[in-house]
Amino acid sequence: MGNDLIQHEQHNIGEICTRQQCAAGRGDRVALRFIPAYGERTDYSFLELDAQSNRFANLLQQLGFVEGDVFFTFLPKLPEQFFAFLGALKLKLITGTLFSNFGDDALLDRLGDSCAKGVILRKSALKKLGRIRNRLPSLRYVIVTDSDVDLAPDILSLRRLLADASAEFVTPETSPDTPSVLHYTSGSTGKPKGVLHCHGSVLHQSRTAREVLDLRPNDIYWCTADQGWVTGTSYGIIAPWSLGVTQVQYGGGYDAEIWFAILEEEKVNIWYTAPTALRMLMREDPGIFGKRSLTSLRHIFSVGEPLNPEVIRWSRESLGREIYDTWFQTETGGILISNQPGLPIRPGSMGKPVDGIEAAIISDSGNLLPDGEQGNLCIKAGWPSMFVTYLNNESGYCSKFKEGYYNSGDTAYRDADGYFYFVGRNDDVINTAGHLISPFEVESALLEIGEVAESGVIGAPDELLFEKVIAFVSLHHGLEPSRELELKIRLHVTNRASSIATPQEIVFVDAVPKNRSGKIMRRVLKARYLGIDAGDISTLED
Amino acid sequence: MTTLERLNALFCEVFDDDDLKIAPEMTANDVAGWDSLSHVNLIVAVETAFKIRFNQKELLTFKNVGDLLNSIENKIG
Repeated sequence: MGNDLIQHEQHNIGEICTRQQCAAGRGDRVALRFIPAYGERTDYSFLELDAQSNRFANLLQQLGFVEGDVFFTFLPKLPEQFFAFLGALKLKLITGTLFSNFGDDALLDRLGDSCAKGVILRKSALKKLGRIRNRLPSLRYVIVTDSDVDLAPDILSLRRLLADASAEFVTPETSPDTPSVLHYTSGSTGKPKGVLHCHGSVLHQSRTAREVLDLRPNDIYWCTADQGWVTGTSYGIIAPWSLGVTQVQYGGGYDAEIWFAILEEEKVNIWYTAPTALRMLMREDPGIFGKRSLTSLRHIFSVGEPLNPEVIRWSRESLGREIYDTWFQTETGGILISNQPGLPIRPGSMGKPVDGIEAAIISDSGNLLPDGEQGNLCIKAGWPSMFVTYLNNESGYCSKFKEGYYNSGDTAYRDADGYFYFVGRNDDVINTAGHLISPFEVESALLEIGEVAESGVIGAPDELLFEKVIAFVSLHHGLEPSRELELKIRLHVTNRASSIATPQEIVFVDAVPKNRSGKIMRRVLKARYLGIDAGDISTLED
Repeated sequence: MTTLERLNALFCEVFDDDDLKIAPEMTANDVAGWDSLSHVNLIVAVETAFKIRFNQKELLTFKNVGDLLNSIENKIG
């Protein structure tokens, strides 16, 4: 398994995950076991996955999509998400996935910046898209999964399109440097950045699934990540299917009873989930997992934000399993630093670099720092799943590299035995439940509200979410805070950015601290919120 | 306007969907965008509109729209 990943120089992710598995004799094996929130589960074999993604590739081709065009999915967890993603990749489209709870601004930023030519969504998302459609001149086709008929000349029924689409498709030869997956990630300033990967990234994703996640040919694998984020594509689509492994996908949200029922009844061997979910499970009645037999479950892995030592201890005591924390980013495309079976876990550590990855702690001035000293977590450039650019922002891309190292933006240190420890972000980006939130985006949304004069947004530690979004808001003269205004603010941020960007707390203040250049001093806001010393405030505006 | 109709209007506002039709047996899995974070928006909206407050214990007992509806009706008498 795995050694025959690249055949005849074909690096196409869609082909490797489907047809190649069939050619290797795994056509009848279940590729996707889809468990909807209600109703019966449905199994799709690798043969069916191949046929469905072929039909998708064909329908896109018939619509005039060509190599290099940008296509997005904007769907909750549905089988169509997987078929569309792989089909678009087969056609060598740049394929992005959008978190289904994104609001108008988040959608506009991503579809607009990428000049997306098409998007697939559910009918319920049309209203959101409709509000921004006139600002998306490149968007030619909207494909709707749940309509039997076309809704407009450019709003097409997937069912109608599929009826005419052949299940045969010959994937064009695809070199490793052909652009493939596009995800947007938030920075501390400016708009989200389009992180572009290439088909060759499958080499690293496949290898780490085998060597770190310990995926074996007959395993049942479950990755709970939403396909709107990099974990959901790298390890919730590409990695397991590149190895011909069966994966379970559940269409509903977090539910401890259901999740443990899935682990037991589906005989899940490898479970990849997030610290926030694990912390939520820790708070549940022990009877929920105590009554479940998890004899099939070999390993649990976690990604998204640092894993607290108490979660590791809880799992050892309550589930009888280790949880292996892994580290990667949208830009890295795959796991670079990890705990893994066979490597003793040091609770609180993100583990060691995986084979072939060179990680270092480097000072702001560019010097390699000794063990124990905090600095910038950097990775020697050139790993196979490394992003190849920030779309339309080459200077931003170049600024991430110095002396041959990629600067992750995380602060960390390494101990004498080579284990790395996350300390924090070295920018203002907020990591809430494993999702990166730009304070700038939330502040921008807040300033659109008529009553809001100024806003400043920070992340503050949270026991469940790792960090929570806190918004400081000052109102125009004469206005008073109210419950109605709080609701208005919350809904506005949800509908413009996303539910995950919605402030957990809104603090009404007389003024937001700024320096003399007018820049929001988030450091001061954070210190005030946490009740600690704000440090040097000499540049604070009077 | 019945409590269900008022609640329906709040759902439409919170989840930005004018076509939403709620029913007592519906859960978060039936409404696009109803996740744990937007659930907070819903509760704030309900509390504001009906001028009521839920405590943490009550919030944990809501398994579907019907539970929420019953709780509202009990509070507003």
